[in-house]
Amino acid sequence: MRFRSASILLLIVGFVLTSATSARAQIDLAGEWAGTFHEDLPHRGGMRLADYTGLPFNEAGWRKGHSWDEAARSLPERQCIPHVATYALRGPATIRFQKVIDPVTGQLQAYSLHGSYGRPRTIWMDGRPHPSALAPHTWGGFSTGAWERNTLVVSTTHIKTGWLQRNGAPTSDLATMREHFTRYGDYLLVVTFINDPVFLAEPFIRTTNFVLSLSSNANAWGNCGPAQIVDELGGRPKHSVPHYLPDQTDHIREFLTYSGVPAEAARGGMDTTYPEFASRLQRGTLEFDPRNRAPRERIPIIESGVDADRNRPVDEIEVLPVQGNVYVLAGAGANIAVQIGEDGVLLVDSGSGMLNDKVIAAIRQLSDKPIRFILNTHAHADHMGGNEVLAKAGSTRGGGRPSDSPGPGALVLAHEAVLFAVGKPAGRQPAMPVGAWPTEGYPGESKEVFSNGEALQLIHPVSAAHTDGDSIVFFRRSDVVVTGDLFVTTSYPVFDVDKGGSLNGVIASLNRIIDITIPKDWQEGGTMVIPGHGRVADEADVVEYRDMVTILRDRIQYLIKKGMTLEQVKAARPTFEYDGRYGAATGPWTTDMFVEAAYKDLSRK
Amino acid sequence: MRCLLLAAWLAITSMATAAQQPLPKVPPTPRAAAPFDLTGHWVSVVTEDWRWRMVTPRKGDYSSVPLSAEGRRIADTWDPARSAEDGCKPYGAAAIMRVPGRLRITWDNDTTLRIDTDAGQQTRLLHFDKRQSPAGRTWQGYSAAEWDLVTARGGLGVSLATAPPRMGALRVITTNLRAGFLRKNGVPYSEEAVVTEYFDRLSAYGTDWLTVFTIVEDPRYLSQQFITSTHFKREPDAAKWMPTPCERGSVTDGAQ
Repeated sequence: MRFRSASILLLIVGFVLTSATSARAQIDLAGEWAGTFHEDLPHRGGMRLADYTGLPFNEAGWRKGHSWDEAARSLPERQCIPHVATYALRGPATIRFQKVIDPVTGQLQAYSLHGSYGRPRTIWMDGRPHPSALAPHTWGGFSTGAWERNTLVVSTTHIKTGWLQRNGAPTSDLATMREHFTRYGDYLLVVTFINDPVFLAEPFIRTTNFVLSLSSNANAWGNCGPAQIVDELGGRPKHSVPHYLPDQTDHIREFLTYSGVPAEAARGGMDTTYPEFASRLQRGTLEFDPRNRAPRERIPIIESGVDADRNRPVDEIEVLPVQGNVYVLAGAGANIAVQIGEDGVLLVDSGSGMLNDKVIAAIRQLSDKPIRFILNTHAHADHMGGNEVLAKAGSTRGGGRPSDSPGPGALVLAHEAVLFAVGKPAGRQPAMPVGAWPTEGYPGESKEVFSNGEALQLIHPVSAAHTDGDSIVFFRRSDVVVTGDLFVTTSYPVFDVDKGGSLNGVIASLNRIIDITIPKDWQEGGTMVIPGHGRVADEADVVEYRDMVTILRDRIQYLIKKGMTLEQVKAARPTFEYDGRYGAATGPWTTDMFVEAAYKDLSRK
Repeated sequence: MRCLLLAAWLAITSMATAAQQPLPKVPPTPRAAAPFDLTGHWVSVVTEDWRWRMVTPRKGDYSSVPLSAEGRRIADTWDPARSAEDGCKPYGAAAIMRVPGRLRITWDNDTTLRIDTDAGQQTRLLHFDKRQSPAGRTWQGYSAAEWDLVTARGGLGVSLATAPPRMGALRVITTNLRAGFLRKNGVPYSEEAVVTEYFDRLSAYGTDWLTVFTIVEDPRYLSQQFITSTHFKREPDAAKWMPTPCERGSVTDGAQ
């Protein structure tokens, strides 16, 4: 017995000694840290509109900020948004670093970082990779950390569209962040770099200081979710999008009068952050380098491919679980949603048909059951080009047949307008091969389907949007909405006025999607959204996109009312600040094509 | 019994391994001991406090500075019409890192790191050799420097401290200052001010950066520590060096 006790003691001593090296590899950051507000205090409380001093904006960043109306924060869709990762450490409250210890190994697995009025952000320390570019974005993003000398270096990707400061200074969802946390005794220095190819001319650096606090707690509100949302803007129509048209705001003059700062400096810009600018101010020789004002060329995003469609290897199908029984396949020309279960496989859309074998192989990774249904969101070849092959690879179950024996091929269902569209002659041939046509077309505004123990709704939101036969597919138990091309994260909305499309129809459809989706607390997650193209999203992403489309609609409408011709509208560049995110100079849907379509649509009497 | 032998072997081996780790060699000079290279050309990138650094703020605008009542009283006596007479007051060690400009950092000798600024044409000497003693008061005062070591606290004693301590930042404590301005609009610090700084280096998005974490303590004009942090981007050479004296006909009163 004595031998056993001694053995255990010696084993413990030995273990402690051998593990000492790894324990020493970290400097403890855990605790509550109170911010010191000896820098930029007015920027961190309630700050003035149009004050973008010190921000290395490009022209797009400034324009986006300039059109921002703070009433937008009071919209039901935005009331519960917490401070985004790009701002959460800059806010006014105490922050908290908390260790997350693996209960089995006892090793540090992660830090939980609770920012000022933000949500806890997990910083993974276990070497895991960043998620796929297809994965959803969150307010906190996805963070991994590693020690470099005396500093914890944290890389963050997958951040939602957010802000640098609380007066509309924007960040895009292509922004990535790198933070350096260094402890000097009881002081903490956080150096933050934000790299946003859409709105910044160069990575934005700022340093934020904290002192170890033994007497305060990280600040947080209670829960904020749909139940807590109230009507803060009484009388404003549902789905309104507050914003300022280019010549309808006087915030700059108000700020200049208040601060005495030169107008050129208030706009921000890379050149304004270097000492030469102060010299030019003194000499009165302000001339701006227009290169600082243009959206800059995209720089490689190193940490992970956040830019979903641009970074995926060509000819590869990527599979990502979305929620419940629903997955998404990307890379087949357009996103394909897959529902699996005991009944078999249900697909929403079938891709372009160019990679049918790989699509089938990807489906087989998820289920060995037959494909029973293909639901088409609309009549475009990149969404239904795989219909024929994928349908033949499956079989219909029961239905209206006299027996329950499998029928040949999967049932293909779409709105009846899709049938009319694909059957229209294009020369001597129909618009699409007969084998790719839906086998069933539903009339009216909706259709119900039950598959794999789950109710599905097909909703035809309006008669003219992306096309005249769009369907939204809502998986009610998995809580996933598949939008087709009514919502994409890769381009401006596509619509062909001559073939039944309409910009206002797209906006109405986006609002319909927002009506269907219900977020979890903090306006994140909840109902998940699979767009026609691009990454998986949630309601907040649809709101951001809806706002963008609505703002552009309002601007183009405004310019038309001023009597401008199409060429004049194009010259005014109403889409300017969004071009770095959604625009294109070449390809099937350029920025010019979008503006032309919008002009034509909105000019109709 | 077998278990006891195994445990004893493990413990002894661990202790022996720990004991055999070579003691860290003491570098011959602070210059040789530098855990990172601070030398070179650096430019301040003013993304914070722009309104209080790039232009002279209005009189009475001491936003963010925790001034005491006496400090505010002094700040309110500043006369913008006579700002040309302020000379080098805004370029003292408590404020010089916040002044937009460029730094040139070199080793003056093996125990002295030298920082030259083009704004105000000031020179700071950071002394690692503690045998030197400060003389009179100057704008840049007397700066005592050391490499900050991060050592293990507590635990089981020597068995946990066999590896060399990790090198941290460069810590500098500056005293013997002449009274000056924290900001160009007369926000004051007194001769009693003590400045503690941590100089560090990092890289991100392909660029080298220098950070300076600064704590100013002034029992006369501040109600609490005044804490700021300032960042500088590395430049390849001195091509953009723009020396500008802070006093007409007087480059600097020299640092000790």
